Amino acid sequence: MGLETDNDLIDQQGPGFIITSVDKLVNWARTGSMWPVTFGLACCAVEMMHAGASRYDTDRFGVFFRPSPRQSDVMIVAGTLVNKMAPALRKVYDQMAEPKWVISMGSCANGGGYYHHSYSVVRGCDQIIPVDIYVPGCPPTSEALINGIIELQEKIKKEESIANG
Amino acid sequence: MTESNLTLNFGPQHPAAHGVLRLIMEMDGEVITNLDPHIGLLHRGTEKLAEIKPFNHSIGYMDRMDYVSMMCCEHPYVLAIESLLDIKPPIRAQYIRVMYDEITRIMNHLLWLGCHGLDIGAMALFLYCFREREDLYDAYEAVSGARMHATYYRPGGVYRDLPDEMPKYKANKFISEKKVKKLNYNREGSLLDFIEDFTNRFPSLVDEYETLLTDNRIWKQRTVDIGVVAPERAMQLGFTGPMLRGSGIEWDLRRNQSYEVYDELEFLIPVGVNGDCYDRYLVRVEEMRQSNQIIQQCIKWLRSNPGPVMIEDHKYRAPKRDSMKHDMESLIYHFKHFTEGYSVPEGNTYKAIEHPKGEFGVFLLSDGANKPYRLKVRAPSFAHLAAIDEMSKGHMLADVVSIIGTLDIVFGEIDR
Amino acid sequence: MDRQSDTKAIEELLQQYDIEVSINQSNAEIKVSHERLIEVSTLLKNNLSFEILMDVIAVDYLTYGDVDWKTNNATSTGYSRAVKPTIIPDIDETFKDRFAVFYQLLSVSNNQRLTMKVFTTESNPPSVPSLVDIWSSADWFEREAFDLMGIHFDGHPDLRRILTDYGFIGHPFRKDFPTNGNLEVVYDEEKEEVVYQPVSISTRPGVPRVIRDRND
Repeated sequence: MGLETDNDLIDQQGPGFIITSVDKLVNWARTGSMWPVTFGLACCAVEMMHAGASRYDTDRFGVFFRPSPRQSDVMIVAGTLVNKMAPALRKVYDQMAEPKWVISMGSCANGGGYYHHSYSVVRGCDQIIPVDIYVPGCPPTSEALINGIIELQEKIKKEESIANG
Repeated sequence: MTESNLTLNFGPQHPAAHGVLRLIMEMDGEVITNLDPHIGLLHRGTEKLAEIKPFNHSIGYMDRMDYVSMMCCEHPYVLAIESLLDIKPPIRAQYIRVMYDEITRIMNHLLWLGCHGLDIGAMALFLYCFREREDLYDAYEAVSGARMHATYYRPGGVYRDLPDEMPKYKANKFISEKKVKKLNYNREGSLLDFIEDFTNRFPSLVDEYETLLTDNRIWKQRTVDIGVVAPERAMQLGFTGPMLRGSGIEWDLRRNQSYEVYDELEFLIPVGVNGDCYDRYLVRVEEMRQSNQIIQQCIKWLRSNPGPVMIEDHKYRAPKRDSMKHDMESLIYHFKHFTEGYSVPEGNTYKAIEHPKGEFGVFLLSDGANKPYRLKVRAPSFAHLAAIDEMSKGHMLADVVSIIGTLDIVFGEIDR
Repeated sequence: MDRQSDTKAIEELLQQYDIEVSINQSNAEIKVSHERLIEVSTLLKNNLSFEILMDVIAVDYLTYGDVDWKTNNATSTGYSRAVKPTIIPDIDETFKDRFAVFYQLLSVSNNQRLTMKVFTTESNPPSVPSLVDIWSSADWFEREAFDLMGIHFDGHPDLRRILTDYGFIGHPFRKDFPTNGNLEVVYDEEKEEVVYQPVSISTRPGVPRVIRDRND
């Protein structure tokens, strides 16, 4: 991908210096200020609150919780997703603007977790929305969540949005 | 042009909804005429799952019900099993349980205060309360290994004794040795020293919170005469705990129907006068202070009375690992305990404790098997949320947020 | 405090109305027929001042005493875990007294607790009179019992589902309802909405259900 020209030599070199630098700049801006929408469902929400509070401060990473999905770029699904709640989850996800990412926090959101065998639980929020990072734990400690946010930052840094057109 | 009532949907994803609450509000302008809560957005079928697992495997489910006060939820379940088995934990285990129940009570009220304040607009309080909660999470982690869901209480006692060492901060390239020494000042001794240091600091911190809120004009305007409930009506609606005491009825299970060692401890029960949000706020803040006192008394007793923390009967308790490896009987007990579990005799029982939110009760019906036949949890928030329609009629939209805050609801236990 | 002596007052009054009180595990329990439920509840509330209805618990006795493995037989017929799926029992039309409702009552003035047990009618759906007019807290508790167990409460003003999904079919806590349920949700990319499909997992029982005598 990148610039397609008739000259094979330029194609073989890949995107080029300017495109990669712009990519790096864009990724730095995106990872430096990821605003999640508050989607705390159950116990993991309390650990998420602790991650945002005094000791493990997510604000120093630029992560600042927004109540509205239209103003956020990340959704942290924290807690058990239940059949009754699934349409609401999809609606909130659809309301977010591109580019958007999803972190699935805790074993209930990853794959049903402790409630996997229940009749009313969705076995993993990836049945409803596409997920980028899975954070394991029951609940994952606040440090594990911050580790997950940093992993997402690493993932975003590898994206080549400008280069890919 | 005709005027009609507005139907507004509040939730389920909403920062002030305290979890997943969906309220269908019918309003005449700004004033509420009818309120219909839709719950079940966190209904995980816990009680049905408990019927397919042995008794000890469901202790973790109890933690996850009210996920802001974890050990208080395990407690009535464990008491119900002990009552059907007719066993009693050793006295040291009872003191540890009482101490952790009170630590849990402080944790619950801190989160309640932080979130109630955040909803009404006092945002700094959130950070202060969570700073204190982190220390209490460290106390949970030191004794059970998990910050939140401890599964520490077992039928017959508690899982293991209090540790003699606390985990400490370590120096690295961002934090120097000097700073680490300052951070570790209260972790040099055992867990009891750590908790004692917390109880010494805590009353002055509660004073800080009260300075911010109690005589604050804005706080009073938003909570006085909001959500008033008369005492007889409170009993009719099934209120318990601070909701009932805020309306003036002196009823506390720790005093009136004592369990564990509460009858040997000295503490006061705060009771409100008017039954509005402000009185309930005062009741809960005072309860935090009283819990602090109870913890201090427990620490004193625990320091001077070492002993076992779990009953010796190996039917209900796995034997020690080294004896399992060379003693045939212990090996058989270990095998039976971990593959099948113990069988609880036929019968039913209802056990309730004074949970921070009210009366949390567990009804256990057993037919003699190793799995419960019917487990039902009586969650205090369920009855409290049912009353929200009555409490908010005639109030305005912003008051609904205050009322949801004062009910102190958590959806893990409402929806189970 | 001695619970046995506290229940004397209840026993004396109720014996006048021909109701027996039994004490088990220091819980006082009375059995009432569904015809007399309203009469007895009014009595308990007004004369014996049981002001608070704490809980309404519905129980399904269909598989009471059923085991996955009879432990008294020879060990050659042992339990083989990975093979048998969970068996959902067929409903026997002649099964009597299948559903029961337990009411937990609390008297704040006298500091007493009481459990009231009522068997439902044999009709389909099983029904019990509603206690909403006596204790307001019965409102949501009865809605929950209806939702999860299918017991109809006659006289309840607003009996509809409260915990299960919108449009859920079935009553989950009945013993003939599978733990995994019948439907699960998934997002359909083509229709761009969340749809229901039949459930794709099946749970094998990890630990067999056994009944052992305590003195074994």
